[in-house]
Amino acid sequence: MAFNSELARLLEHPAIWRGTSVARAEVLSSGFGALDERLPSGGWPRSGLIELLVSRFGVGELTLLLPILAALTSAPLARSCVWVAPPFEPFAPALAAHGVALERVLVVRVPAAHKRNRRGSLDGILWAFEQSLGSGACDLVMAWAKRPRSKEVRRLQLAAERGRTLGVLFRPLQAARESSHAVLRMAIEPSAYGVRVNLLKSKGGVRGSVEINLLAAGSGA
Amino acid sequence: MSNGPRTRKIDARVVRLPAAPTSLRSVDTQQEPADSPELWVGAHIHALKGEATLETLATRAQRFTPRVSLVPPDGLVLEVKGSLHLFNGTEGLIRAFRQDCDVVAVESAIALAPTPLAAMVAARVGKPFVVTNEAQLVGRLTSLPLTPLRWPDDVVQRLARMGVRTIGQALRLPRAGFARRFGPAHLSELDRLTGRNADLRHHFQPRERFRRRRELTYEMENDATILAALAPMLADLGKFLEARQCGITDLECRLWHRHAPPSLCVLRLAAPLADVARLTELLGERLNALVLPEPVRSCELRSGLPVLRVLSCDPLWQPGEYGGSAGPESPQLVERLRARLGHEAVYGLQMLPGHRPEQAWSMREPVLASSAGVGARGPGGTGARGPGGQDANASGGPGEHGAGGPSALNGAQPGPRSPKLVAPWGAFRRPLWLLPAPQQLEELEGAPLRRGSLRFFGDVERIETGWWDGGEIGRDYYTVFDIYGVQLWIFRERAEPHRWFLHGMFG
Repeated sequence: MAFNSELARLLEHPAIWRGTSVARAEVLSSGFGALDERLPSGGWPRSGLIELLVSRFGVGELTLLLPILAALTSAPLARSCVWVAPPFEPFAPALAAHGVALERVLVVRVPAAHKRNRRGSLDGILWAFEQSLGSGACDLVMAWAKRPRSKEVRRLQLAAERGRTLGVLFRPLQAARESSHAVLRMAIEPSAYGVRVNLLKSKGGVRGSVEINLLAAGSGA
Repeated sequence: MSNGPRTRKIDARVVRLPAAPTSLRSVDTQQEPADSPELWVGAHIHALKGEATLETLATRAQRFTPRVSLVPPDGLVLEVKGSLHLFNGTEGLIRAFRQDCDVVAVESAIALAPTPLAAMVAARVGKPFVVTNEAQLVGRLTSLPLTPLRWPDDVVQRLARMGVRTIGQALRLPRAGFARRFGPAHLSELDRLTGRNADLRHHFQPRERFRRRRELTYEMENDATILAALAPMLADLGKFLEARQCGITDLECRLWHRHAPPSLCVLRLAAPLADVARLTELLGERLNALVLPEPVRSCELRSGLPVLRVLSCDPLWQPGEYGGSAGPESPQLVERLRARLGHEAVYGLQMLPGHRPEQAWSMREPVLASSAGVGARGPGGTGARGPGGQDANASGGPGEHGAGGPSALNGAQPGPRSPKLVAPWGAFRRPLWLLPAPQQLEELEGAPLRRGSLRFFGDVERIETGWWDGGEIGRDYYTVFDIYGVQLWIFRERAEPHRWFLHGMFG
């Protein structure tokens, strides 16, 4: 991946499109410099599905998304930000303190009574996730699903592209072994002052891990 | 001989016409008495075909005038004086009315008269009858028989024995004697017929809500076939709403069974909707989720009150494209999710004033894209605001939106600061996740445990409030890390027995 500067400059030409790069894709800064450097095109993709694999719920995965949550919800002409089946109640005052415009936030609960088979509420969660992604009414859709099948993740990815929506799927770390159609997969583990983000799959970007200091950035207000 | 002066008068008018047009009016009024202040169309309905009713015709007739009255069981009168010019006079209006009768499949006879009763009676006779001024009315009525007045048989027979068979003969009878013999009611009816007394009628009010029931030809169990059976009623609903330029926010579908009480399927919409295809789609989702105890024998649709619909224009850009906002997609998404998951499943969040974490927020009805007032924040585009949002935490808010965290530290009162509230707890951190209810933690020698020992971090915050409404709390909140590196928000009761609870996670 080492190009000399001459070649790199040439490749910056907008008419040149390379398969390994999605440089022209619209991205949003993650708010963390170290992470931006590793992410393809320097930020979260504007549309598509990304997977965040967490060792334990609450290690800091939501804090990692707070900057774009704030940026997306408070932008002019912002669309909704949907939370599908969050495990607890999103605490509105904390979100507002981080600059999230609450009027854009929509929480979708999938009732347990909606069980159709042994997969419990998973079908309902995936349905709501896909509807939200594909509707075009959302900028960001986050979903907490235990174990969606690879085929279903593919559907979600297509829906996210159709609706020009960034979909974030939170999964347990064990899912890292399965293949996935998400454009970006990262494992998130706690470290001394924040989290260690391990990029497992990154379309057109570099793999590897990066330490992010959430405390220095002020994970809470 | 009587024609003599009349002809002369007309001649005189022809001569004078170009010279003095102002006098034309006076000549006109001399030649033809003034039109009556009212003109009524009476329609006598011979046959109602199909599902047509008097109400359907009355609803349709409201395009001529709001003064439509029903004369049950088979009549309709409408006052059309004000709208004659819109239909090119009486002929045009009669033609338009006949067309409407054809559309709703009603066969009727029509008459025009200055009083509603005269119009109705003449329509029942069935011969062409168009009288536009009051002076001619009595003259034209005299030859009509008495039967269309629909008086009781014995009255008509007694009148016939007296040799009174037409309206004219009845009008010629002495009033006092007529009233004594046949009752003042019939006399006053004659007065209303000729316009001597006012004829007050109730105006027809069309149904405000849509309500239609249909018996099914056979019992149905499959939701797809039920939806197909509902389709014609939904189409009617579409017409109903279109005529009113309204949408509905509530729709109730009742499915009746042989024994079991009717199943209810209620659709609540986030925004007024009049699109039949979307209503059908949403109702289909609802029916799909419905568990029927028995096959369905008949179904009924009931709408809520129609709401005036605001027609929107489509934006140039797709949502998400170059900053295109979500127009109708947002309410549509909410409705689709609610149709399947239930009304309570989708909600928004809002902050409430107060220090108690449980009462610092609440659910709310989702704010839909069109009404949310977040726009006009300068030419920021949809581009990322980048690390700006992050700075909010440390240094007093990102400036442009007022809910920045520690900016509230400077003596801000807990109270509404439009449009957002400012967190009143200053520099203290709040977790992103709140447990629905505090979860008691195990203890080991007074220290809390959760999946192992906990590492304390940062300051302690005391929240002691709520004594005025019975929901008093006294807690010391701590931020801790568990052995997996998860940041937790726990508290210790101030009161005995000083138990430890987990209340939130920083995520």
